[in-house]
Amino acid sequence: MDGGRTFLAATVGPVLVALIVLCLAPLGVLLVVSFFRVDFVSIVPDPSLHNYAQVLSSGSYRYLIAKALMSGATIAAITAVIAYPVAFFIAKRIREVKAALLTALLIPLYTGDLVRIFAWRLILGREGVLNSFLIWTGAIDRPIETLLFSPTATTIVLVYNYLPFMVLGLWLSFETLDDHLFEAAADLGAGRTTILLRLVLPLTAPGLVAGALMVFALVVGDFITPQLIGGASGVTVISAIADLFGAAFDWPLGSAIAWTLLVAMVGVVAAVVVILGRTPWGSAAFGRG
Amino acid sequence: MAPGEGGQAPLLAGRGLHKRYGAVHAVRGVDISLSTDRYVTLLGPSGCGKTTILRMIGGFETVTAGVIALDGRPLLDTPPSRRPVNTVFQSYALFPHLNVADNVAFGLALRRLPRDEIARRVAEALQMVRMDSMGARRPRELSGGQQQRVALARAIVNRPRLLLLDEPLSALDRKMRKEMQIELKDLQRRLGLAFLHVTHDQEEAFALSDSIIVMNHGVIEQEGDPETIYRRPSNAYVADFIGGSNLVAGKVVACAGGEATLETAFGPARAPCAPGVAVGRRASLCLRPEQLVIGVGGSLGGTVRHTVFQGADWLVEVAAGSAALRVRCPDEEPPAVGGAVSLRYDPAKAWIADGALAGDA
Amino acid sequence: MAIGLRRRDFLAAAGATVAGAALPWSPARAASTEIVWSTWNNLGLPDYIDPFTKETGIKVDQTYITTDDEQFARFKAGGAADVDVFVPGQWEMSRYIASNLVQPLDLRKIPNAAHMYPVFRDNALNKKDGIQYSLPYYWGINTIVYRADLMDEKPDWSVFFKGDKYKGKLAMRDYAVEGIMIAALYLGIPQTEIFSMDDRQLAECKKALIAEKALLRTYWTSIADLTNLFATGEVVCAFSWLPPYYDLTKRGIKMALSLPKEGVPSWCDVLAIPAGVEGERLEAAYKLVNYLLGPEYGLKLAYGGPYAQSTDLVRDKLPPEQQERIFIKDPAVMDSFVWPQIPRRYNEWVTMWNEVKAS
Repeated sequence: MDGGRTFLAATVGPVLVALIVLCLAPLGVLLVVSFFRVDFVSIVPDPSLHNYAQVLSSGSYRYLIAKALMSGATIAAITAVIAYPVAFFIAKRIREVKAALLTALLIPLYTGDLVRIFAWRLILGREGVLNSFLIWTGAIDRPIETLLFSPTATTIVLVYNYLPFMVLGLWLSFETLDDHLFEAAADLGAGRTTILLRLVLPLTAPGLVAGALMVFALVVGDFITPQLIGGASGVTVISAIADLFGAAFDWPLGSAIAWTLLVAMVGVVAAVVVILGRTPWGSAAFGRG
Repeated sequence: MAPGEGGQAPLLAGRGLHKRYGAVHAVRGVDISLSTDRYVTLLGPSGCGKTTILRMIGGFETVTAGVIALDGRPLLDTPPSRRPVNTVFQSYALFPHLNVADNVAFGLALRRLPRDEIARRVAEALQMVRMDSMGARRPRELSGGQQQRVALARAIVNRPRLLLLDEPLSALDRKMRKEMQIELKDLQRRLGLAFLHVTHDQEEAFALSDSIIVMNHGVIEQEGDPETIYRRPSNAYVADFIGGSNLVAGKVVACAGGEATLETAFGPARAPCAPGVAVGRRASLCLRPEQLVIGVGGSLGGTVRHTVFQGADWLVEVAAGSAALRVRCPDEEPPAVGGAVSLRYDPAKAWIADGALAGDA
Repeated sequence: MAIGLRRRDFLAAAGATVAGAALPWSPARAASTEIVWSTWNNLGLPDYIDPFTKETGIKVDQTYITTDDEQFARFKAGGAADVDVFVPGQWEMSRYIASNLVQPLDLRKIPNAAHMYPVFRDNALNKKDGIQYSLPYYWGINTIVYRADLMDEKPDWSVFFKGDKYKGKLAMRDYAVEGIMIAALYLGIPQTEIFSMDDRQLAECKKALIAEKALLRTYWTSIADLTNLFATGEVVCAFSWLPPYYDLTKRGIKMALSLPKEGVPSWCDVLAIPAGVEGERLEAAYKLVNYLLGPEYGLKLAYGGPYAQSTDLVRDKLPPEQQERIFIKDPAVMDSFVWPQIPRRYNEWVTMWNEVKAS
């Protein structure tokens, strides 16, 4: 199968062009500004590494950046585990209602962020659907406070929000997977587990990687969900950057954090690509290993 | 051969095999028996059930009814991964993420053989299919014929008791197909392995087989070596599918001592007959194009409808009554189109097969 | 309204953005009687402004503000050139003045300004070096709003900082200036020092705020969000704007206000004219400013907003309960006002606020 490289090229190619045109110019401006400093309401073009020193020496910003990356990686992993069987099922076991199922899967994307978030509050809240139900069944006698406004709640809603991206990426991979390969493997003596580990996983790795990168980037960039669902611990590096840009008019420091985050993200992605590239799975995903 | 007969059990024995897909009865009561060291072809048009039988043996289809035994042991409860049988798939089904050597090593690695043994056997298998220099290539970097060879190597490296080949040459162009036919036959001889090969191409079947099983509508029409199938088709279907024979339908009026007399539109014809032929049944006189000779004093008369140049000879189509007879004409000049000709044949070399094709009066 | 994102939820803000985008950003300026007013979308309703246009012949085009911060960023990027009158927060005037985005006002052209309550007339945030750059327009308070049915006592600021009776049932606005200001009020830091606190005072605030974080259910970001939190019982007490108090009282929930003795955070929006507006347009701008401070407009705002103007021109025309509603029945309340302003070390405040949230 030409799958690996062609698929990645087809998905990443146009995205790359759009990124260059739409994102690189503003990023360049941010990079320049990140070396300046702010004096009340003026940006003083007085280049120094002061802002970066401030970012790197601040425990809070380091923590927030690490938290963003961890959160992105965690949600990517959880969505992968959930989406894998779902995508398999839709691609390989469903015939008639496939389009309907895929559309249903995308419903979360049709509704606005806020609608989704407030719906989740109704479910997870202190007097929400879930707590009421658990109390009714007698499983608990006091509401579980941490269902909402907690890291757990943030995780649940982020998984819900970004699951479709993972499923779509994987679904495409499963659709292009030739069923005869499974027969061939069985013919050569492979059991179910072996087929899963040595055939299905490597051959769907392109979709897994594409989905994971999408989810990772989207989760790192989502500050509304943690803010409205995560409670007092819902701060994100993005909201911190937004505060600096919007409220404090400290574009230089905000830019420096943004760039540090960007470099860290690229670092994580590069590390994943390098590590995966050394395995047979990765060589399926990225062409020749 | 049935067990006991000849004192040796066959390699593979299928009895009373049926396969239904809902309302479709794809295989209806097939008995099949294969012995070691033989190249057997399942031949028939698409949808005749030949691939289904192959897949039943491979374990990729369940069996609606019937049993299959390999080396005298029941096979049907064994999952495909544990059957000592390997398959070469029509689409080759090479693993795209593995290189050629790893594809070939796949089955051996699963058996946890020592590394050096795997390497040795992979090299051997690749050499056998003349792919020894391609071990590091990816399947997508190979031509169709090369992929075919890798698929073969991947199957034979496991030293199966039986190799199943599902239309393995259908994706290749004609020239490559001819080459591969020779190689397949050669490989089978060198390995001394039983091959069961599914195809719809009778030329391919003739070129390869020790024995051909002709199938139609889920049943076996005839089984035999290529010459028997060609010269002595048991019924009109086989005669038509295999040889492109001219079939002249009629009613059997006499039958004794392996010969029968058939009342046809051209008058009575007497010739050796197939076992099922009996008085009162419909039957077909089979006249292969090369058996008919254009000349004087023949028993059949007609008009030349058209002529086709075929290199070595001409194919002449003669309208005789309601029938159209094809005749091979070795002369440099074919008879003129529209002219009257007379055809004769040697009745001792003609053949009467059971039944008549639908539509033949 | 409050500072930052005012009494508007995300949806309203988004709606305003769409509406603003639909309006021409630089309306045709062929007629000298047409000016552009950058304002909140509930201040320039047709029946508020039509009398002005009828009387003066001046047509007022509106562009809508989504947040104070957005408006400032827009003006910094050159957007001020498209506007003739605008509505910044009083707390942030210093940054407009420092950026030379506003022009000094000639009070002789704004006769209604003479009727301002003293607390507004004298407010230094509208001046620099004795020169008046903006005039208070309308105002209100932001304070503690709570579910009287779910709390045993009237809370003050300390409810956010000590004790754990209401732990996990409190909310604070996610905005550095107000968040830190409230900590300073609770700690008893003199009001004159709050916005120029030194390192020691800031460190004290930070400590208090970290203690506060442990007691909070969440930080709220929009007033619709907070209203929802009150209504569902997730939060029983919050530093809030007033809409949840009005809205939920109307829906039958027993809500109450608490005005802490340490000081009541107040907000005031002001009227200012961008630097560069001149000639006929400037004259028209002055007329609009004067109208917005006058009684005809003030009466509509007192019921419609409901908000109190900075002038006392309509006070006596209102029944006592309406006066009570907009906090002008007893003008003494104005003595306890605390006016937020841009902190001297604003970016350090924001950084500290994020450190608290990340702690």
